[in-house]
Amino acid sequence: MSLDNFKDRNAGVQNYRLLELEPTPTTGWGKFKQVLIRSVKLELLVGLKVTIREMFKALFGGQMHTTKYPFEKLPISPRYRAIHEMKRLLESGHYRCIGCGLCEKICIANCIRIDTRYDENQRKEVSDYTINLGRCIFCGYCAEVCPELAIVHSGRYETASEQRASFTDFADMLTPLDELKKQKEFPGFGAVSPNADENIKKTPLAY
Amino acid sequence: MSGFIIATVIKAIVVLAIISALAGFGTYIERKILAFIQRRLGPMHVGPYGILQIAADGIKLFTKEDFIPSGANRLIFKIAPLITAATAFIALAAVPLLPEFHLFGITVRPIVADLNIGLLFVIAMMGVGLYGPLLAGMAQENKWGIIGSARTAIQFLSYEVVTGLSLLAPIMLVGSLSLIDFNNYQAGGIANWIVWKQPLAFILFLISGFAETNRTPFDLLENEAEIIAGYATEYSGMRWGMFFIGEYANMITIGFLASLVFLGGFNPLWIIPGAIAIVLKVSFFFFLMLWVRSAWPHIRPDQLMWLCWKVLMPLAVINILITGLVA
Amino acid sequence: MSDNLITVTIDGKECKAKEGEYILNIARANGIFIPAICYLTRCSPTLACRLCLVEADGKRVYACNAKAKDGMNITVTTEEIVEERRAIMEVYDVNHPLQCGVCDQHGECELQNYTLEMQVDSQSYAIADTKRETKNFSSVLHYDAGLCIVCERCVTVCKDMIGDAALKTGPRGGDKLDKGYKETMPKDAYAMWNKLQKSIIVPSNGTDFTNCSDCGECTAVCPVGALTERDFVYKANPWELREVPSACAHCSSACHLYYETRFTSISDTTEKIFRVKNEFHYQSLCGAGRFGYDYENRTAKKDPAQLAKAVEAIKNAGTIRFNSMITNEEALMLQTLKDKFGIKLVNQEVKPFKEFLNYYSKATGRALYKDSFKDMSDCDFIISAGAKLRSDNPAARYLFNNIQKLNKGAGLYFHPVGDTLVPTFGKSVMQFNHKPGDEEAVLLLILDLFADKDKLPQSVKSVLDSAKEKRTKTVTKKVMEEVTEKVVDKETGEEKEVTKKVPKNVEEEVEFEANTLVERLGGDAESFEDSFAKMMKKKESFALIVGEDFYFNPRAENLAKLIALIEESTDFKVAFIPPKSNALGVALICDLDDEEEGSVVGYNEPGDFRISALGDGDFDIPAMNQQEGTTTNMNKRVVPLNAALDYNGYELNDIMKALGLGENLTIDWTAKLPTDKGYQAVLFDDLPNCFGNDGSENRGYLLANLSAEKEDIELEELSNEALEGDIAYRCNPQRQFNDFTNKAHQIFEKYALYASKERAGELGERVKIEFEQGGGLELPVEVDERMTGDIVEIPDFKSELDVYGLFGKSRYAKVTITKV
Repeated sequence: MSLDNFKDRNAGVQNYRLLELEPTPTTGWGKFKQVLIRSVKLELLVGLKVTIREMFKALFGGQMHTTKYPFEKLPISPRYRAIHEMKRLLESGHYRCIGCGLCEKICIANCIRIDTRYDENQRKEVSDYTINLGRCIFCGYCAEVCPELAIVHSGRYETASEQRASFTDFADMLTPLDELKKQKEFPGFGAVSPNADENIKKTPLAY
Repeated sequence: MSGFIIATVIKAIVVLAIISALAGFGTYIERKILAFIQRRLGPMHVGPYGILQIAADGIKLFTKEDFIPSGANRLIFKIAPLITAATAFIALAAVPLLPEFHLFGITVRPIVADLNIGLLFVIAMMGVGLYGPLLAGMAQENKWGIIGSARTAIQFLSYEVVTGLSLLAPIMLVGSLSLIDFNNYQAGGIANWIVWKQPLAFILFLISGFAETNRTPFDLLENEAEIIAGYATEYSGMRWGMFFIGEYANMITIGFLASLVFLGGFNPLWIIPGAIAIVLKVSFFFFLMLWVRSAWPHIRPDQLMWLCWKVLMPLAVINILITGLVA
Repeated sequence: MSDNLITVTIDGKECKAKEGEYILNIARANGIFIPAICYLTRCSPTLACRLCLVEADGKRVYACNAKAKDGMNITVTTEEIVEERRAIMEVYDVNHPLQCGVCDQHGECELQNYTLEMQVDSQSYAIADTKRETKNFSSVLHYDAGLCIVCERCVTVCKDMIGDAALKTGPRGGDKLDKGYKETMPKDAYAMWNKLQKSIIVPSNGTDFTNCSDCGECTAVCPVGALTERDFVYKANPWELREVPSACAHCSSACHLYYETRFTSISDTTEKIFRVKNEFHYQSLCGAGRFGYDYENRTAKKDPAQLAKAVEAIKNAGTIRFNSMITNEEALMLQTLKDKFGIKLVNQEVKPFKEFLNYYSKATGRALYKDSFKDMSDCDFIISAGAKLRSDNPAARYLFNNIQKLNKGAGLYFHPVGDTLVPTFGKSVMQFNHKPGDEEAVLLLILDLFADKDKLPQSVKSVLDSAKEKRTKTVTKKVMEEVTEKVVDKETGEEKEVTKKVPKNVEEEVEFEANTLVERLGGDAESFEDSFAKMMKKKESFALIVGEDFYFNPRAENLAKLIALIEESTDFKVAFIPPKSNALGVALICDLDDEEEGSVVGYNEPGDFRISALGDGDFDIPAMNQQEGTTTNMNKRVVPLNAALDYNGYELNDIMKALGLGENLTIDWTAKLPTDKGYQAVLFDDLPNCFGNDGSENRGYLLANLSAEKEDIELEELSNEALEGDIAYRCNPQRQFNDFTNKAHQIFEKYALYASKERAGELGERVKIEFEQGGGLELPVEVDERMTGDIVEIPDFKSELDVYGLFGKSRYAKVTITKV
């Protein structure tokens, strides 16, 4: 499906069509006629037919819809915006976040806060990072604005817990070091566009 | 005489046990069937294929707090569910459930009381059943309950008329009120079934049967979309369970009545023995009720009344007239 | 400086301006935008960035250093100039790190802004980068050379405003530019790049450390994140900070500043001041103002028992002892207590100043000194007398320096304590280190040099005349002399007599009129005449600033009268430096007493019951950054203070309420400030607090200088007594003013005896000081490298030590110093 289909937000002219219904009868005679016609045409039985057909499809056609959720999970879109996740640098394992505070600035729910400090290596170090999930609306702006692709949304949508805070501890949000190899780039908001190379104006280098 | 009493008591207990178990099982069947029709699986996780869901529900119902609202009429509030359950089972007393069979050398007639006015007794008992919801709704001091009981009164009383009139025609044919006579009248194959002689009466009876058992599309008494739970709003736990069992027992009763009166009762069908035949027939009616529930929407109270008095009753009267002329 | 108004047209808008004004300043004053990175309004043009290129009457000029002429027509942007500016911004972006995210200037960076303004979206130039180290220039300055664009604003402001001249450009060691660029690049961009590629900022003393007064003004002016405050590095982003416009409370300058606050951290959400910013184009801050901000009172809670005790203490009090860290409103409340209960008010900091003002107004008929420091910025000759310029009042020091640098001015600095910094302010600065007690001679010399003698009373005239002496001095003159030599011609061997004219130095005795006053003040009478004549060249307007030494002086009355004489007989602009933060306000609002009586309530001062904003008293009051109120500054301006931080406790007004004298809010007192002292009945919320585009100070209101009863000036006999022997001088180190600066975590100056290097060497590490009038202290010794002479300095910023009590009504005291 091309992107144009998504861009067309005019619902009225898509695949919808109006049912051609007869006008509702107003007179007693008209109503009687309607009952008579519907009874003779056995419209009620159509409903029964449809339901029993679906039942046979389900039982014998292998078209049962149920997913046994905790045991089976449906695949979610890679762009799904669930609980946040912090990525690491693949080479060093150091967290990518540079503490620039853009996510904090852009957050429309005002739920992100960063503490930074000057560390021994003369770098900006993120000493703490929190997201108040009570306020977060999962809009994805933080991931979109992040210049380092450090904060992204994960697919972790199972968010029942005793404390919301247990999802937003900086250490917990980071990819575990032993799973660094499995770390995948987030393709959603903020990701590098496929044709990014074409759009970049190259800066000359004097080396 | 004492043997008769013992046999009757045993029969009563057996019928009570089996039917209430079936009523419980009915809930499972209903959930399963409705799920299948919607291409779902239904209960799956309690026991194999979720069969123990009934037990789980039972445990839940029994252990729930026995709650009576402070403004309720406590006595009536407590009695009302009993009326529903009791009348449902009492109605079954005059219904021959199976053909006669022999057990330990004794001929068992699987009917608790073979009354010569069996059909009348059943209908009368089901009519008395209206007191359950009626009193329950009025006793609980809840406006939804009141509306529920008002609907009970109009729906049950109105459709009682249609039931009676629709059954009158077959009664005229058979000339007896005993259900065993009905059964015997239809012995000898499908061709003898009353349904062929009285198709209109059959349809009218079915429709009014749905209304009498408070099933969709006529479940106005406790239509949760309009009146929360109607007469059962304040009920919970086992008291609410009583209404439930009563309703399912009534469904089974209607199934038996329809089978016995119109579809040849427990007469053997080709190679199928009579016992199995009637179970199949009753099962079909039970399934039909669920099927209809999944396919058709509720109707409005005014449509209900319009249907009863302006359509069904005149048709029933005309049917009786024609039957009278023909017979 | 002439006051002729001219008219220039900038982008079609007619602007009136003074003749000789720079185009850029005219544009800024009229709200016209001319891009410029390196130029600072009150400093000399650097011409580093070349962005301010404009077209004036068809010619390309730099707006920052081109003076406007009448009828000039200026176009800010032409196609060529736009191209040039874009090229300049591209050059600035060459090798500038793109990790804006981790930069402290991120969000308020002028490089970012101008890069966007000039629409730079690609880079056409390149050069290999040079490794540039990050350094800490001092205990407060952090320099990230990698971010530096060498606009030299820091260098300029340090030289032209602050006077430390602690920074300069040094070699960068970068590669040379590719020759090809010279042809292909716009001219100015190439020139700018050429310079940029060669330089970097380094401390000017050749070491790695600036050893300056740590005012941090360079961090404020830095357009990028290169020079920052060490404490602030990587702590917060500018956009998170809430800006609270207020005024600095530490000295009488009450400079405008912004407190920038934010929650402390994720785990601690209480509001905290992260840094202080200022409008550096219009006013410079000192180290105390910029770094002494975290003195708030955090311990305060509303405890009714505490309030009841305080009310009881006030009711029983004989005296309230307080200092100048107080708002006008609080001072008025104290005065109300005095009026109602007859409580004595004691303020050792202000009392002599108040007396001095009284003497002065009796002699002149004016309640307040004539001029304000703000008016003096146009002057080209400035005299400082009685003020330890380097530490007493930074604003006065900046003014002194700025006049030397920008107006090509001259200055005379009279002070007993020698200072090596002041003479570096300009070539024409002369320092007199007179003896303490010779202050009258200073004013007499000024009268002698500048006064219209006809306007002086006879007694003064005769004193001045008697100071003149006929003397002779040896002058070396160049005389051309004819010399005859015998020269042997190499070719012919003949001897010839050749006569040549050869210059020869001849010493000659010349008679001259020597001024013994100069000698008395420690100058050289012989050379003074000539050097003074040089200083006076092309000088038109004169200013005199008078400092604390004159108020805390046994001869204060005479000094005040002499100043009145100077005003009468010269066209000097005269202003006084109020000794401490709100000294002028206290002097105007409160009637002060000399002696303490009965039980003493200390208001930020020691006492039997201590009301304190330091969090250590018996009753808590808000510190100056936690309350609203006004303060009266040295420019005779009543300026508002705003609350930057929350305060949870009681205020003085709550005690007043409990006594039935209170207003609803503290700021309701603002409109009640005494109008008979020059205040206006204006509501606090109506007071503005900002600067205009042209630098006009739109803060609070100016005090009216009311007329007072004038008496004839009758001088007492002039004293000839000067203090001899070991002398201690009551003076704070730079950046320390009071208990509150001492509380701030970024102000490191210790409480110690300060002495010049030689003197400190003699004294050792720790000394005991005994005062002649009794009392003593034991202090460690610290070296002040910029001090000379034998006088030692004892700070007064710790009120608990009662240094004022030790010194009495004088800033100098005879002491005996013994090593410990």
